[in-house]
Amino acid sequence: MAMAIDGAFELDFSGYSSTTTSTENDHHACNWNDWSPVVDWEALSGPHDDFQDLIESMMEDGGFNQTTCNSNSLSTDTMLVDEETSCEDFKGLKLIHLLMAAAEALTGVNKSRDLARVILVRLKELVSPNDGTNMERLAAYFTDALQGLLEGAGGGGHSKHLINNGPHHHHHRDDHHHQADVLAAFQLLQDMSPYVKFGHFTANQAILEAVTQDRRIHIVDYDIMEGIQWASLMQSLVSRKDGPPTPHLRITALSRGGNGRRSIGTVQETGRRLVAFAASIGQPFSFHQCRLDSDETFRPSSLKLVRGEALVMNCMLHLPHFSYRAPDSVASFLSGAKNLNPRLITLVEEEVGPIGDGGFVGRFMDSLHHYSAVYDSLEADFPMEGRARALVERVFLGPRIAGSLARIYRARGDEEGCCWAEWLGAEGSKAVNISFANHCQAKLLLGLFNDGYRVEELGCNRLVLGWKSRRLLSASIWTSPSECDL
Amino acid sequence: MFHAKKPSTMNSHDRPMCVQGDSGLVLTTDPKPRLRWTVELHERFVDAVTQLGGPDKATPKTIMRVMGVKGLTLYHLKSHLQKFRLGKQPHKEFNDHSIKDSPALDLQRNAGSSSVMMSRSMNEMQMEVQRRLHEQLEVQRHLQLRIEAHGKYMQNMLEKAYQTLASENMASGSYKGIGNQGIPDMGAGMKDFGPLNFPPFQDLNIYGGDQLDLHQHNMERPSSLDGFMPNNDNICLGKKRSSPYGGSGKSPLIWPDDLRLQDLGSAPTCLGPQDDHLFKGDHHQIQIDRGTDLDSISDIYETKPPVIQGDPMCDKNAKLERPSPRRAPLPSDRMSPMMNTTGGMPQERNSPFG
Repeated sequence: MAMAIDGAFELDFSGYSSTTTSTENDHHACNWNDWSPVVDWEALSGPHDDFQDLIESMMEDGGFNQTTCNSNSLSTDTMLVDEETSCEDFKGLKLIHLLMAAAEALTGVNKSRDLARVILVRLKELVSPNDGTNMERLAAYFTDALQGLLEGAGGGGHSKHLINNGPHHHHHRDDHHHQADVLAAFQLLQDMSPYVKFGHFTANQAILEAVTQDRRIHIVDYDIMEGIQWASLMQSLVSRKDGPPTPHLRITALSRGGNGRRSIGTVQETGRRLVAFAASIGQPFSFHQCRLDSDETFRPSSLKLVRGEALVMNCMLHLPHFSYRAPDSVASFLSGAKNLNPRLITLVEEEVGPIGDGGFVGRFMDSLHHYSAVYDSLEADFPMEGRARALVERVFLGPRIAGSLARIYRARGDEEGCCWAEWLGAEGSKAVNISFANHCQAKLLLGLFNDGYRVEELGCNRLVLGWKSRRLLSASIWTSPSECDL
Repeated sequence: MFHAKKPSTMNSHDRPMCVQGDSGLVLTTDPKPRLRWTVELHERFVDAVTQLGGPDKATPKTIMRVMGVKGLTLYHLKSHLQKFRLGKQPHKEFNDHSIKDSPALDLQRNAGSSSVMMSRSMNEMQMEVQRRLHEQLEVQRHLQLRIEAHGKYMQNMLEKAYQTLASENMASGSYKGIGNQGIPDMGAGMKDFGPLNFPPFQDLNIYGGDQLDLHQHNMERPSSLDGFMPNNDNICLGKKRSSPYGGSGKSPLIWPDDLRLQDLGSAPTCLGPQDDHLFKGDHHQIQIDRGTDLDSISDIYETKPPVIQGDPMCDKNAKLERPSPRRAPLPSDRMSPMMNTTGGMPQERNSPFG
């Protein structure tokens, strides 16, 4: 028996190590933590004229790669799979090192904006957001974002400047995108990856389980977007067998002023669409709006609540196509939600790596890791669709990268690590278990996409969607402290 | 690597965990040890829960205190309690029964006879597997409907939006020229859009009739995007797709043809975070990418079709049953409580949840 067990272990081990070296897409993930800055800061702190030369010498394949290999034998092992891959990987590594060097130059101890500028110029020569490998396109967006920070860093209102102005940024802005681009990218995103459906279906399944016996359901949706989440919920409500006949569903969407994607007009349109959809499948339905305050604060008193309705607060935060919401606004919604004694609070948010004390550079690298996992996952399912991916990247991911780097730059790495699930727990919301069916659904859903997707349960009430070893998105379910156990 | 049993885990005055008097928790020997819920351990669990006023009142912490079994962690209890609450745990009825008619069982325990229990639990287990199987098929059916609803909504939205865009386009003539799309592209988009125009896919007939709708639906949409692709230099997405979803070999939204009942039947393991691959219907796609899963992968190969032998009582630990992937499954052996003693006690070694 013991022998047999030992044998199993050997097998396990060899199985493990062989795949570590052969799964191509995993390169970036495997050795992520092993990368270390190879830039010699002492040397770089000399006179400016030398920078160009230094960078040049770093760029020479031999010199730079040699340093890399020596500093990190592990990655060398994985790189030498075959000539072509290793070439790409060397370039990828080179880009990462340059990006890191730029980030370091921008904010680190040896702060030098001139150095950052030189590095960014070099980076721009190497990358383009529209073609090249994943890493090259990704590096293009990060370069762009860093450039924005660099330009903005001089003036007073740097953050505004970098997002709104500057010739290379106008095409990243949401509002400037051709509406058809946004739609096409949204559609592609849904077909290419499980992100959107994972968030929506997991939340919806939890909602369905929580309201099995209710005749009236009221969902307050923090960010309804195009309303697609509710199509599948309605479908399920209409076709549910046990319990009372199809319950009445009321959705209150929060809206804010202005002309953006969450303006009253847009939300109204979503409402009309939902009403039409509900009618088409026979779901009793009504739609309401509730305006956020001008600073996007949520006031629970502005909600119209009806006795006897099962109240669900739904908060979708960071699906790839969603835009940024200020933490204060999210907090006002979640804490307001808690006070309304809802049956359920559903939350979907981005998973960020451990914050550590890395400051900007640490958070920067974490972002890079995060988005490279996203890029890889998109590539894995649709390796041939470079053009389609480029569109999704340009419309959704690029602006997000710019925005998130700007925020961690402003916050110097402190603020952005906020995990709303932990926040909810700390605020006293009660965890609601993820059911077997819900877990099962997530797995079946991921089974339709690439094998690299993972689902794991974190705590008892949180399902995490990951790509390879990187956690990307989590869905968690909660209830108010006074609700009895479900 | 192999951890010897630790008989001293249990308080000797307690009801023995094992028929042999040897006792201890049984954990898998892989780097992420998971607990095997043996019949005895589960009984103690049920006793504790009952004592605490039922599954809804008991919490993992209180259960841990009441059970007082060394090595049992909150994580183990949390997931077991969760399943227990949902009525999903394998031998609920069995235990309700055993609480009432315990003399018989005590006798059994004292006599050290495991055969009756074994056959009972075999029964239990088969029912459990069937129940899970049924549940998973239900989940799958629901998921399919949800994806369809999602797609229907999406399509409706796109149609409307493109219509609106087109009419705006007509009216203004100078419709936001920013970006890479000009008016001609819009026109192309409109033409391409619509079910009549999607490129032919020979592959469609590969898939069963049921899938066809979903499939077409999915296929047709990307083709409609051609007109919206930047710098559309005649490389049509739809054409590139003619080997749909090429490369990965997986077709989103298409259920694997050979999604087998047996695979789904491995239900008891599917709660484990590491067992995702059990859901990949297509065996050729299984990636052996984590060493710890190696023997559970071989489970799939070896035990099919008699997956029914999988032991639901062992919860997430189907792996434990077969320390060596090469070993042929021996149902009677595996079912025996005696097996409890073969596991080691690597307490929370490398557990990600520890």
